[in-house]
Amino acid sequence: MSGKNCVAIASDKRFGVKYLTISMEFPKMFQATDKTFIGISGLATDVQTLMERFRFKINMYRMNEERDFEPITLANMVSSTLYERRFSPYFVEPIVAGLDKNNNPYINGMDLIGCSTTACDFAATGTPEDQLYGTCEALWEPNLEPEELFETISQTIMSATNRDCVSGWGAVVHVITPERVITRTLKTRMD
Amino acid sequence: MVSRVDVPKGGFNFDNYQRNLILQEKGFSLPKPTKTGTTIVGTKFKNGVVLGADTRATGDTTVMDKNCFKIHYLAPNIYGCGAGTAADTDKITKMVASQLELHRLATGRESRVATALTALTQFLFRYQGHLGAALVLGGVDVDGPHLFSVSPHGSTDKLPYLCQGSGSLAAISIFESQWRENMERDEAIELVKEAIKAGIFNDMGSGSSVDVAVIEKGRAEVCRGMEVPYPTIQKVDSYKFKPGTTAILSESFRNFVTITEGDAMDIS
Amino acid sequence: MECIFGFTGKDFVMTATDSTVAQSILIVKSTEDKSRALSKRILLLFAGESGDTVQFAEFIQRNVRLYEIRNGVELSTKSAATFTRRELADNLRSRKQYSVNLILAGYDLTTELPSLYQLDYLGSSVSAPFAAHGYAAHFLFSIFDRYHRPDLSLEEAKALMKMCVGELQRRFLVNLSHFTVKVVDKDGIREIAI
Repeated sequence: MSGKNCVAIASDKRFGVKYLTISMEFPKMFQATDKTFIGISGLATDVQTLMERFRFKINMYRMNEERDFEPITLANMVSSTLYERRFSPYFVEPIVAGLDKNNNPYINGMDLIGCSTTACDFAATGTPEDQLYGTCEALWEPNLEPEELFETISQTIMSATNRDCVSGWGAVVHVITPERVITRTLKTRMD
Repeated sequence: MVSRVDVPKGGFNFDNYQRNLILQEKGFSLPKPTKTGTTIVGTKFKNGVVLGADTRATGDTTVMDKNCFKIHYLAPNIYGCGAGTAADTDKITKMVASQLELHRLATGRESRVATALTALTQFLFRYQGHLGAALVLGGVDVDGPHLFSVSPHGSTDKLPYLCQGSGSLAAISIFESQWRENMERDEAIELVKEAIKAGIFNDMGSGSSVDVAVIEKGRAEVCRGMEVPYPTIQKVDSYKFKPGTTAILSESFRNFVTITEGDAMDIS
Repeated sequence: MECIFGFTGKDFVMTATDSTVAQSILIVKSTEDKSRALSKRILLLFAGESGDTVQFAEFIQRNVRLYEIRNGVELSTKSAATFTRRELADNLRSRKQYSVNLILAGYDLTTELPSLYQLDYLGSSVSAPFAAHGYAAHFLFSIFDRYHRPDLSLEEAKALMKMCVGELQRRFLVNLSHFTVKVVDKDGIREIAI
């Protein structure tokens, strides 16, 4: 979700097989660069494999180019990595969120074969995708300040996951501002 | 341990294919790729080509993108509208655009529409229709204005006006009843707008606003949101939450610091 | 029908596997060890298709050992879990995939902390305070949720282990007569009686 010179990215923390919850501390987002995060939803094994591959590519880029990925470049890298497997995809839907070098918000949602959608407002993926889009449409408004954005994205993800029986069990929110990254874990329903 | 550093060899990678078959047998459902259930049209006029597209992208029945851009750049004088699997149209046009750019740099000449057409059809034919990209290709080169349609299997049509995508039936009716030869620029734009609107209103897979590209000798103009039949209405109320509404379990900060070494370089 | 599970304590990890080998409806052995030591302080428990399990576990065991010999350092539990996960995930893309569920229990001397990883046959890996595979999970997670604490002493852990085994033997349809219980701590891996 984008705000005024800030972006926020949130995910739940459940990892489960069908209806059995195995872990409530499963990270689905990682910090790609100082001001950019990648969040991946989908099949857990692919989420982990892709996180490893992306981390490798990000580190190689940093060493080769002696600079960090810009969010838009990062999104293109993610998109090409997925499209390379057009006919044997990873079962994932990633989101790239961050601030570019001028601290403008950048948000990009992708399907499993790398069709990227740049959004000026919000992007959502995962099992409660439909619910998320609904709550986002209702709660999001332009030019939210970091603290307002935090409340909006938190309430959005909590409302949506409460209507989806296989997600939830805690949530993490990162708010990225030009000065700092604020990370908060939310108190949510645990059912 | 064997090194796991894999360098892409170029082309598609089929490593996951076998596994995905097994996973699907076990009942893991594949997430739906984004499609552009689309209305895209193109028409020739007196001295150029007009292309038009709607801006809706769907994943199953959900609108994934309310304002996506379906008129893809191929060369300064060539544009292509894409329908079908969104990732395919995006990537194929990007790939051909880069081939054309390199070709221009090598030859120092303006790209021809036929070159773009050949690159697209040969690539699509190689994949036997598995790349779900249907395109309307338009441009103006040394031979004058050209308009082609390309199907996912790699066949082509050369027509004075054409439509593609799920809304093509609605759009073609407008052309069939109102199209004339040697239209003026403004007439052609108006006709394209009407055709796209027919798709937007009558086809579920098409929607939002009308994008138009006008290509004439020596100039191309792309107009995003030329007509927006349903502008987003501003919310009447604000739904902001008071800070502190959400209960937090833990909190951490990562502050950025700016490092400046020495004095700034004198570049006067 | 196999049961493997484990949980962390204050400065150790306690694990258990059932010792039964069954073919169809017949029990052919009741003293099988369904674990392999990857290094002095890392234990790998496995369950799944027989044949696959031992093959895969020993493949991992030898490769971790090879790494130690080549580089002169022991792998941390996390590194071993990451390596194992990647092997599983890559193997998943082959024609005949391994069907193995794993639990990795280890004690790291550098951090002086016990850790536990649960890996499934699809190649997902989670670090958890307690882990269980198969039908055991349905019986045991509720016990762990209620009674597990990160600062369990060895005696308390033994009591908890007794509850787990007792629950399985009382409520689980399948007769699992004997469990092999092991402890991984700073002194290494050892089997204990409960």
